[in-house]
Amino acid sequence: MTADVSITGVRQEFGDFTALHEIDLTIEAGEFVVLLGPSGCGKTTLLSILGGFLSPTAGTVKIGGKDMAGVVPRARPTTTMFQDYALFPHMSLLDNVAFGLRMRGMSRRERNAKAREMLDMVGLADQAKRRPHELSGGQRQRVALARALAVSPDLLLLDEPLGALDLKLRRQMQDELKAIQRKVGTTFVHVTHDQEEAMAIADRIVVMNQGRIEHCGTPEEVYLTPRTLFTANFMGEINTLKVRKAGQGVDSPLGALNLEPTNGTLCLRPENVGLSGQLDLGQAVLQDMAFFGSHLRCHFRPVTAPEMILTANLPQGTRLQTGDQVHLYGNSPVLIAEEAA
Amino acid sequence: MRYLSWIYLVACFVFILLPVGVLVVFSFQDGRLPVPPFNGPTLKWYADITSDRDLMAALFNSLLVAAVSSLVALLLGFLAASGLARVVLPGSTLMRAILIAPMTVSYLIIALGLLNYFNNIGIRPSLLATGIGHVVINLPLCFAILYAAMGEHQRNALRAARDLGAKEWQVLALVSAPMLAPALGAAFFLAFTFSWDEFIIAFLLTRFDVTLPVEIWSMLRSGLSPATNAVGSLVFLVSVAVVVLLELTLFRKVGK
Repeated sequence: MTADVSITGVRQEFGDFTALHEIDLTIEAGEFVVLLGPSGCGKTTLLSILGGFLSPTAGTVKIGGKDMAGVVPRARPTTTMFQDYALFPHMSLLDNVAFGLRMRGMSRRERNAKAREMLDMVGLADQAKRRPHELSGGQRQRVALARALAVSPDLLLLDEPLGALDLKLRRQMQDELKAIQRKVGTTFVHVTHDQEEAMAIADRIVVMNQGRIEHCGTPEEVYLTPRTLFTANFMGEINTLKVRKAGQGVDSPLGALNLEPTNGTLCLRPENVGLSGQLDLGQAVLQDMAFFGSHLRCHFRPVTAPEMILTANLPQGTRLQTGDQVHLYGNSPVLIAEEAA
Repeated sequence: MRYLSWIYLVACFVFILLPVGVLVVFSFQDGRLPVPPFNGPTLKWYADITSDRDLMAALFNSLLVAAVSSLVALLLGFLAASGLARVVLPGSTLMRAILIAPMTVSYLIIALGLLNYFNNIGIRPSLLATGIGHVVINLPLCFAILYAAMGEHQRNALRAARDLGAKEWQVLALVSAPMLAPALGAAFFLAFTFSWDEFIIAFLLTRFDVTLPVEIWSMLRSGLSPATNAVGSLVFLVSVAVVVLLELTLFRKVGK
């Protein structure tokens, strides 16, 4: 089952502190949305509001067109996968997964059959009789997913579920999570502070900062054409240059650049700085270089602005030495106007 | 040095256990007084006390009061701890302090207060009155043990249960109580033993039906006899049985 979600004018205050300012967000049925932001940006608060653990100070939340005001978590078509999994330690995996169905009054036979099916989906069918403490972190995480999905929620809320896993397992679980979401078709709202994770799994990323939505779009949009400086910085490493309108182009510390006249900031990802391209960045001296496997990470000091450093990821096999002077070019420049930044 | 530490250990145990040992040994005294010399073993006194109807009635009363009052204290303590662990209210700390406060008041004072109060509202000294008294002294204990056992982990599991559709009583019965089973058991058995050998409250709040400690006290008024030693040994046996049971079941599980 699946449902769309609409959040209008949601505001959350804790005493004097405003955790969320006027959040508006629409989520399509069956969409995989990731709320991304640093800790304290309000993403978990928003998730708690969707789950019914918090009532917003103002605004409305509709799930499947129904207003959720005053609806307790038990009565919502949502389930949550908690950060520490919150499995019931005294129950077998089967009973854990069947718990929600038991609460809905399903007979033992039916709910066990359904729970087995869910455990099978997450690849733990042969462990149904075990207790949570006998499992590894990744397995517990799968049980928590099976338990949350067993009741066929319209909306699954995931509160940094991969946070406790090591990197390799986390990447593997991302793929599984995405595959399972495709299979069940449930709307997923996933909270994380890891931008790589967000890009790997999301249909749409909602970048949040200080209780506001900074940018909302597909991973490509958010990464390649960030709307704000915060988003540009948060989504990955970036070179920034202050630019001012000057005639037909802009003026920058590197000199005149052939760009649309704007007052603001020019953003260039390290992989978009190189030895060829459309945007002439002038001469620069290589300061240092490190081998990163898939690329060479280089720091350049522009000749025209020796106080600044440009980071560039150059392809493997580039023959350069520290102190070499080269001509740098940029690709896919992003200009963020002052008022937006 | 090693030698000395063993002597020290033995001395400690002797100091702790000698009175009980003497009590038990002289309950088998073949003679009229439980004092040395030991005249050889007999089970006569045990036969005497087990055929004493008042004494057996008192023993049964004690078991009843201990079991019922501990259960009530456990239930109330569990509900109070669940509530206070779940929500932060203005004055939560004060509420916790007030709940635990009776632990610091002497049993005599509590008994006097209850006696006064029961007089005013017309509850006669009885097993019921004593039972209520034992709930008063054991509730803080049960509350403190259970509240301490409810950690962050437990809170999240309860949240998950609610999220999955459990009603509040289902959350308590199906998730909270089973997760707290060791603490619930420990609290119950401690409350049980406290009620089992509590004297002052039982003495002031009973009249015709009395509990075992009160019955033993009235036996002592007619002087020492190996029979009182035999009763004492029985009481001790029950307490030991409870502790051993506790060790074998609950604490072993926790240790695992």
